[in-house]
Amino acid sequence: MTFTERMLKIDRRIIFLVIGLCTLLPLLYPVGLPIKISQEVRGVYDHIESLPEGSTFLLSLDFDPASKPELHPQSISLLHHAFRKKLRVIALTLWVSGTGMADQVVTQVAREMGKENGKDYVFLGWSPGGTAVIINMGQDLYGAFPADYNGKPTKGLPVLQGVQSLRDVNYAVSLGAGRPGVEEWYVFGRDKYKFELGGGCTGVMAPGLYPLLRSGQINGLIGGLRGAAEYETLMDQKGKAIAGMDAQSATHLAIIVLVIMCNLFYFSSRSRARQQGQAGA
Amino acid sequence: MIFLRRQVPLLITLITGLVFAGQYYVPHPASEQMLTSVTKWLQIIGGFALVLGVSSLFHVHAVKIRRKEAGWGYSFVLYVGMLGTIAIGLWSNGKEAVDGAMTAFGWIYNFMMVPLQSTMFAILAFFIASAAYRSFRARSREAAVLLIAAVIVMMGRVPLGEYLIPLSGDLSQWILNVLNASVRRAILIGVSLGTVALSIKIIFGMERSYLGGGKE
Repeated sequence: MTFTERMLKIDRRIIFLVIGLCTLLPLLYPVGLPIKISQEVRGVYDHIESLPEGSTFLLSLDFDPASKPELHPQSISLLHHAFRKKLRVIALTLWVSGTGMADQVVTQVAREMGKENGKDYVFLGWSPGGTAVIINMGQDLYGAFPADYNGKPTKGLPVLQGVQSLRDVNYAVSLGAGRPGVEEWYVFGRDKYKFELGGGCTGVMAPGLYPLLRSGQINGLIGGLRGAAEYETLMDQKGKAIAGMDAQSATHLAIIVLVIMCNLFYFSSRSRARQQGQAGA
Repeated sequence: MIFLRRQVPLLITLITGLVFAGQYYVPHPASEQMLTSVTKWLQIIGGFALVLGVSSLFHVHAVKIRRKEAGWGYSFVLYVGMLGTIAIGLWSNGKEAVDGAMTAFGWIYNFMMVPLQSTMFAILAFFIASAAYRSFRARSREAAVLLIAAVIVMMGRVPLGEYLIPLSGDLSQWILNVLNASVRRAILIGVSLGTVALSIKIIFGMERSYLGGGKE
């Protein structure tokens, strides 16, 4: 077996080791390269900036623990921003497996910012039905969620004053890791009930949401860990996303180098095989 | 019996399909009230569907354990995990934390479910890298185009890539905003037209596979 053939059949554990080191080392020794802000992320940030104090901001945390590394930093940044702007925050989740995590992040950020449950924010929790919950909220928010996550009746909560349905929401952002997520919030929510919508999603989902972005159906998109890092940069608040960008840079570069190497070995073995074929003939 | 199993579901589908397709365009309060009521039904049905799903899962794995089929041990673990979580969840009133103190249910959620799901997803990074090395080869012109586009986007999406090749950020944005968005939109329009066609077929009873194929 030649060197190129051996390299093409390299033990995958070596690749695992390279990726592991590329993730671990930058986390231990961060470089902190500058992060450029994209128009998509700025769209969400600028819209929240433009909202007057007391506006209603709905955050739907539609993800489960599998997507926590990417979407958790996004939710922290958005909640910090909304609370800093003194918006009234309505949080919920359409993913049952993400309920506990969503409650924790909302409660934790609210506590950090000195916000009061029921007055400055409310966590509605989860309700069965997926997209039906969005329509139901559009028709009657109190019908969809008669009580919040802690069992307190939603009717009469100061944070929901003047809010009857999704039509009364000034801005909604869905942080989605799949379905139901950003697309469902557009199709079943924004399209009918006419509120402004932004999105956040995992890195792999982002390219699929660009048609919504380009047509103005959503006014901004926070894509993956990179999007979260951009938002943290805009907020001037270093968090887990900025810390993770060096690791992501290194792993991306490692994969690119691996792909280039495999192609070099592939073409080298192919030309060798061709030469041997000609010599044989 | 055929009337109840075939004609009645088809009639319900026809009426509700036409009424709710039309409802979207009628903003009258009565029409809106009807939608409110129906979405409440949908939420209730969604809750029952959850119970149905869990009971079906119990049944499938009970059969596996009873027959001692291959991998029945995993089914047993699933049973123990699910029954344990349900019992503790009910005991904790479905709450992960009460007044800031973590409940037993919260402990299961935070120290079992969260790390297990995160680990499963994180492992993907290693397999993607290994798969990319083994199969991402420029065997044809199309594969070469895909490879170049992937490398540009990968470079442009991380600060190190933009630092090494400053143009990669703008190039990657152009690929995502122009090439990707237009192709995705074409696919989306195609899928949407297909959905409309399928909906019409279901409403008018031309597509009946959802009724199941049981004995009549």
